[in-house]
This record gives sequence, structure tokens and C-alpha cells, in this order.
Amino acid sequence: MWSYQKRLQYPVNIKKPNPTAAKIIISQLGGPDGEIAASLRYLNQRYSAPCKEVQGILNDIGTEELAHMEMVSAILYQLTRNLSEKEIKQSGFDTYFVDHTTGVYPIAASGVPFTASYFQSSGDAIADLVEDLAADATITKEQPTFQKARKPLISLTFRHFEGFRKNGIPAII
Amino acid sequence: MMTEKQKAMDKIRRCAFAVDEARLFLDTHPMNKEAMEFYQKHLELYNKAVADFENRFAPVSASGAVRNGKWAWATTAWPWERSEN
Repeated sequence: MWSYQKRLQYPVNIKKPNPTAAKIIISQLGGPDGEIAASLRYLNQRYSAPCKEVQGILNDIGTEELAHMEMVSAILYQLTRNLSEKEIKQSGFDTYFVDHTTGVYPIAASGVPFTASYFQSSGDAIADLVEDLAADATITKEQPTFQKARKPLISLTFRHFEGFRKNGIPAII
Repeated sequence: MMTEKQKAMDKIRRCAFAVDEARLFLDTHPMNKEAMEFYQKHLELYNKAVADFENRFAPVSASGAVRNGKWAWATTAWPWERSEN
């Protein structure tokens, strides 16, 4: 089961609200390769994982992705404070605002709400792990400010599974 | 320039990072004694950092929920506020 620590894994302190940025960053929360998808993917796949090592990794990274989900949500929350009507309309944030105002709701930038269709838990270890490779390596497309060059799929995922995860947070706002 | 509270929270984060990474490594290397000692050592540092923060500022975990005879868990600010970062 899970316990909660009342802190963000890494600090989020955004000085200037920016609904235009929020419109895009929301995919990191509720999109197909976002943190909710990542955590649910790993946490669901761990039951049928074939050995303790893989179960351990899926459990612990799945749990950490929940902390990432929280950080992205904190970013979105801070980006959308004290908005004027003009800012809401001109930023394009109005299409989200009409349904959710400045609440945080798991959705992709395209407007598609989060769905379990974004991940699979097939019960087949190789299929599951290959899906994890596909999902996690897409951070190269989402965070060009961190990645100067495309990295091979395998080494990225290897780094992930060996615990290197500075990549969960978008660039400085 | 970090405030005292930010410094104390930063210490928690550094220790927690070491513990979390060590845990992940040990998930796939359960026989590695050096990693295990690293884990134990930094877990102790983490616990100390949490206790220090909870002593001086606000709850982080269940152990810090009661402060000076008052229930502080939900009555102090939540982590997504700027003031807490």
C-alpha cells in the first residue's frame, strides 16, 4: 500500500502564471506518455512480472511516477493562478477553462481525457517491457530543452530502469 | 538564497534521492553489500532530516502530524503551493 509524504519530490515555484504553457504541459499529466499513464502502466504490470527484480522496479518506479504526477499538477496549478478573462481567452486556455476552470484535470493537450487505453498490461513480460521502452523513451520528443541529441531507445530505458530519472520535469518556465 | 525552511527541505530531498536511487539499484542487484550499506546509511540521514524539518517547521509524514498538541497534518499548507517550495 502507499503512504504519503507531504512534500514535492522536487520544488515547484513558478513566479509568473502562464496559461499558454499550461495548455501544452497538461499532456505531461494526462496524455498518452504522461505521468499518470506511466504510473498506472508500471503498477498494473507488476503483478504478472516474471521475477522479483522486475516486480521491484515496476513497483518502485510506478510509485515514483505518482510523485511526478504530483509535481506536474503543481506546475499546472501554479501556472493558472489569478488569470484575467482576457488572458484566458487570448492564451487558448479557454477551451480547457470552460469545462474545468482552473481545476487540475487529467487530459491531453489535444483535449482527450486520460484513458487506460494509453497503456497495456498484457500479462506477457516481454510485451509489457517493450511497451515500457516505447512509452518512456518518448521523453525525447517531449523535452527537447533537455535532450540535445536523440538517444538510443535501449540506453534511455536502461538508464530509467537503473534509476536515472531527472527527465520527469519540463523545462524551467 | 534559500530560507532555513527551504534548506531543511532541500536536505530531505537530497537524502531521499540517495535512498530512492539506492533502492532501485538494489531491486536489480539484491546481493550488493556495498549498495545495501549505502542504503542504510542514507536512510538514517533521511530520517534525521525529516525529524529535523518536522521539529522546526511542519509535518512531512505521519510522525509529524501532531505539533504542540495540535493536529497539523491538513492544517498546514500543501506541497503544491509556492510557499512550500
